[in-house]
Amino acid sequence: MQSRGEEVLKTAAITKIYPDGTQALRGVDFDLARGEVHGLLGENGAGKTTLSKILSGILRPTSGDVFVNGKKAEVRHPKEALKLGVGMVHQHFTLVRNFTAFENILLGTDVNPKGAGASKARQEILALSKDVGLGVELDAKVEDLALGAQQRVELLKMLYRKVQILILDEPTSSLTAPETVDLFKAVRRLKEEGKSAIFITHKLNEVLEICDRITVLRHGEVSGRIEAANADTKTLARMMVGRDVVFDLVKEPSHAGDPILEVSDLVVRGNRGEDAVKGVSFAVRRGEIFGIAGVEGNGQTELEEALSGVRRPSRGKIKLGGLEISSLSNNEIRKHSVGLIPEDRRQMGLILDMSVAENSILGREWERRFRGQGIALAWAKVKDHASRLIRSFEILVKGPDSPAKSMSGGNQQKVVVSRELTDDPDFVLAAQPTRGLDVAASDYIRRLLLKTRDSGKGVLVISADLDEVLQLSDVIGVMYEGKLLEVGPTEKMTRHKVGMLMGGVKE
Amino acid sequence: MSFDVTSVGAISVISLDFMVPIAMTAVGEIFAEKAGVVNIGLEGVMLTSAWFAVLIAWTVNDPYLGLIGGMAMGVAFGALHSVISVWLKGDQIISGVGINLFALGFVPFATFAVWHVSGVYPPVSFSFGRIAEISTPWAPLSYFVPMSVVIAILFWYVLYRTKWGFQIRATGENPEAADAVGIDVEKTRIIAVLIGSALAGLAGAYLSIDVVGQITKDISAGRGFIALATVVFSGWNPLVGLLGALVFGYSEGTATWLAGVPEVRSAIPHADYLLGAIPYIATLVVVAVAIGRSRPPKAVGIPYKRE
Amino acid sequence: MKASIPTGTSGLLSSVAESAFAAGVGFLASGILLAVLGKDPIKAFYYLFEGSFGSANNFTITLAYAAPLILTALTFAVGVRAGLFNIGAEGTLYVGATAAVAAGLIHLPFGIGLLFVLIAAGAAGAAWSIPAYLLKSYRGVNEVISTIMMNNIALFAMQFVVLNYLLDPARSDKSASIPVDSRFPTLLPPNLTVAIFFSALVCFGVYYYLWQTPGGYELRAVGLNPEAAKFSGISPRRPMLYAFLLGGITAGLAGAVEVAGTFTPFAIYTGLSNLVNFGFNGIGVALIGRNHPMAIVLAGIFLGALQAGASSVQIAGISFEIVEVIEGMIVFAIAAPQLYRMFRRRLK
Repeated sequence: MQSRGEEVLKTAAITKIYPDGTQALRGVDFDLARGEVHGLLGENGAGKTTLSKILSGILRPTSGDVFVNGKKAEVRHPKEALKLGVGMVHQHFTLVRNFTAFENILLGTDVNPKGAGASKARQEILALSKDVGLGVELDAKVEDLALGAQQRVELLKMLYRKVQILILDEPTSSLTAPETVDLFKAVRRLKEEGKSAIFITHKLNEVLEICDRITVLRHGEVSGRIEAANADTKTLARMMVGRDVVFDLVKEPSHAGDPILEVSDLVVRGNRGEDAVKGVSFAVRRGEIFGIAGVEGNGQTELEEALSGVRRPSRGKIKLGGLEISSLSNNEIRKHSVGLIPEDRRQMGLILDMSVAENSILGREWERRFRGQGIALAWAKVKDHASRLIRSFEILVKGPDSPAKSMSGGNQQKVVVSRELTDDPDFVLAAQPTRGLDVAASDYIRRLLLKTRDSGKGVLVISADLDEVLQLSDVIGVMYEGKLLEVGPTEKMTRHKVGMLMGGVKE
Repeated sequence: MSFDVTSVGAISVISLDFMVPIAMTAVGEIFAEKAGVVNIGLEGVMLTSAWFAVLIAWTVNDPYLGLIGGMAMGVAFGALHSVISVWLKGDQIISGVGINLFALGFVPFATFAVWHVSGVYPPVSFSFGRIAEISTPWAPLSYFVPMSVVIAILFWYVLYRTKWGFQIRATGENPEAADAVGIDVEKTRIIAVLIGSALAGLAGAYLSIDVVGQITKDISAGRGFIALATVVFSGWNPLVGLLGALVFGYSEGTATWLAGVPEVRSAIPHADYLLGAIPYIATLVVVAVAIGRSRPPKAVGIPYKRE
Repeated sequence: MKASIPTGTSGLLSSVAESAFAAGVGFLASGILLAVLGKDPIKAFYYLFEGSFGSANNFTITLAYAAPLILTALTFAVGVRAGLFNIGAEGTLYVGATAAVAAGLIHLPFGIGLLFVLIAAGAAGAAWSIPAYLLKSYRGVNEVISTIMMNNIALFAMQFVVLNYLLDPARSDKSASIPVDSRFPTLLPPNLTVAIFFSALVCFGVYYYLWQTPGGYELRAVGLNPEAAKFSGISPRRPMLYAFLLGGITAGLAGAVEVAGTFTPFAIYTGLSNLVNFGFNGIGVALIGRNHPMAIVLAGIFLGALQAGASSVQIAGISFEIVEVIEGMIVFAIAAPQLYRMFRRRLK
């Protein structure tokens, strides 16, 4: 183990309390050396993002100090961080969509993309991009670039600004396996040039692969720091969640029956008019969970929306219990005993400004059981219904009158899931059912989906979480660039195989 | 009734006069919306600026200072709108409603307070004549007509060809991205709103000082709203905005001209009222047809809060 | 306070405080403006109060102004609840008033005459609101633009209709008057009619629809989160159509209330001079009333009082339009709730 370079960044006892009283960080010490890749690992809400935002000048700490190159630094704004050589690549890229890559890279610099210095800047950027192996079509509009290419634009933007310390926030979350390989190559090259990086992720294998040191955050505190060479996934996982993680979920063997959902040769257009789903065929049988794995953005959203009836397919058939539904709208599909759990629960699943009771009847407001005499809604009945859901789905909330926006993400998702499952639908579509949820809530929702399967219903799970798909599914299909690359029973779909397929690699 | 070259020329001169305030206001609003701030109070800005321009011109007896006064009033409203919608992160639409309501009351209220005349049309007239004119075979044409063309081209150039223009458009499209590279989102927005409102103020002053030569409480007559429609029609491009203003100018010019034709007046009693509705109907039709390709700046109307 | 059914009144206290604060800002700023223009603000505000609440008669004038304002405020409020910015009450009121006067040309017995006038005005208002719905729903035209254009079209078209078809044969400055049997019954002559109670009843009806029926629930759901509503099977078009229609009906009724329920001569003046600004002022009422139908009744009386007071403020050499000046200032303060929060922090 070679000795570390000199210290380029250090934090001392950083604390952050948000205006709403949430304490995100409790005295975090962190340091970074020249030429080092330092991993920052933790669950959702552990404080990784808060710390990185403080380092990049987006947030100010409640107390504690930041030192850059040994000097105390008051980083009040991203531009001050950039001046100090600290730049962040956000998980959700901060690019102007209708600008070209070139215009995005130059934005905020002294160079006008249509002005005198533009051609010189172009040469510099091309040289940089060759240097680290980050190829980008400079004159393409960002909205026309794949996510991987957008990330390269972000990286070039930082490198063009001569950033010495890169903060990478979940950089691989939207990348395919080959793109991840390229990114890691680039990071290693930057390291050789003496640049440093903070690598934020919750993926254990990745930190082990790319980082020199790993710091684990839990509940806003450093729960461990370890040389990557001395770490393994099990130790890291324990540091992350504070206990040994049981990666297994008890699962009875499935008793699959007739197909409940049959999809054949389905083509669905995305928002930009391109074919996002390109001829997909599969069937979900009663009593089985069909899992669709894949990196987000490979057509899963469009597939989910087509199956839910909010996006009309341009070709192909969808049969639900033998009935052709591809031309039906969402409210017609919902008459046929389905439960639809959307991937974006806050935007599509809930009305955050309404109460839990009001949310519990969303789309069911005309049903007799919620009405009194005449046209009126019987709120007493609605509340009884909501209270029943709160009890039987273990939703943590004061009562049915509480607004949905006051709840945690896990409990919000339970409201959605309870509404969609309570009437025993024959078919359940669950898109990214546990994204962003803590371990306990994820576990609960997965158990519910298994229970649904065990009662003889057909379940389709679409998830970018490889572990989740492997754990839950009886049959697995992998979606890549709008196609189902391979479908097979879980026994035959190994972790390695599915992982490669997610990156488009067929063996 | 004869419809010939002379009437086409006459219509054109009237239409170009009507084009000017819509073009200037629309170009200014495109500029502000490109930075992410919408102002539906343009009607009120025009109206109050028209009033203030007359006040200044009347006080110092100089129409040019009146024009500058109108612009200054536009800037003042821009400042108010900025404070509410950028600095205090308030609701841009409601603030715009406030401007319109305020102007609706303020102009007759202040006209009465200053000149002690009330009624629908205050009989206070300060005609300085047309300020500067280009002679044509039909009627003299205001210098404001070529000026509004120059303004549209200038604003297009600034938005699409300068570094600052890139920064403005980034601010309206993705303020997080602009902020992340060190662009001061609030400052950029405020400056864009001030400049945009200054144009609306100048447009109002042009109406009262140059075109009408007096102030009435309904001098803006919905032109601020037509300018908003022009912004949508233009797809947020100042050059297309100029074209849109020309279309609306012609619809208003033609209607005005027709209302003056004796044959029309005798054929339909009170035809001028029916014809008066034409520019607004034309606006609706044109916007409905043209809207398909139009994409507003993504962050327009949304206050920027960094966490 | 424990609300047993959703009524849209959660956070009521802070809303009332915010509106009261906004009103305070409005009066303060207007006072400064008056002083700048050389008028005595104290005197002005005294006359405002005197003219609106100073006597029983003055209070009935306040209520007479409030009656149409409450209804035009509903137009805006129902729109906001459905996620729409419907500022078309102004023009729709002209259309409703014109339809009411036209319906009044037919003499019908007491009661039935009024019913006919109301139906005509409501139906005309609903019809006038349909283009904005179609343009929004099928062409994606922003309703701010379409409703404003419809306002201007109504301004010209209704003057044309009044001048050509509805003019009083005996006078050239107004339309024919609505016959006595078709008016709102007078309770306390000369100004207090049943109209104010009718407006309040419509408010209650709208409240009931929005919070106690499935249709109203859908309208609010679409307004708060159209995507989630659509995903749950609520087609967004129907609630939007209902919001436009309901807004059209209430604004149309406001026109009927203005010509059949408030001041003599129960007609439309040429230039629509007794109709203008009721629609725009309704937006202010809705904003002050936080777009809640029941609070709008109170906000309507507040602005009605300003209007009534403004008539007597003219004694102090200040013109009637002081109302919109104050109202505009109040709306500025409402647009920036941050202002109230800063003020409250100062107090602590």
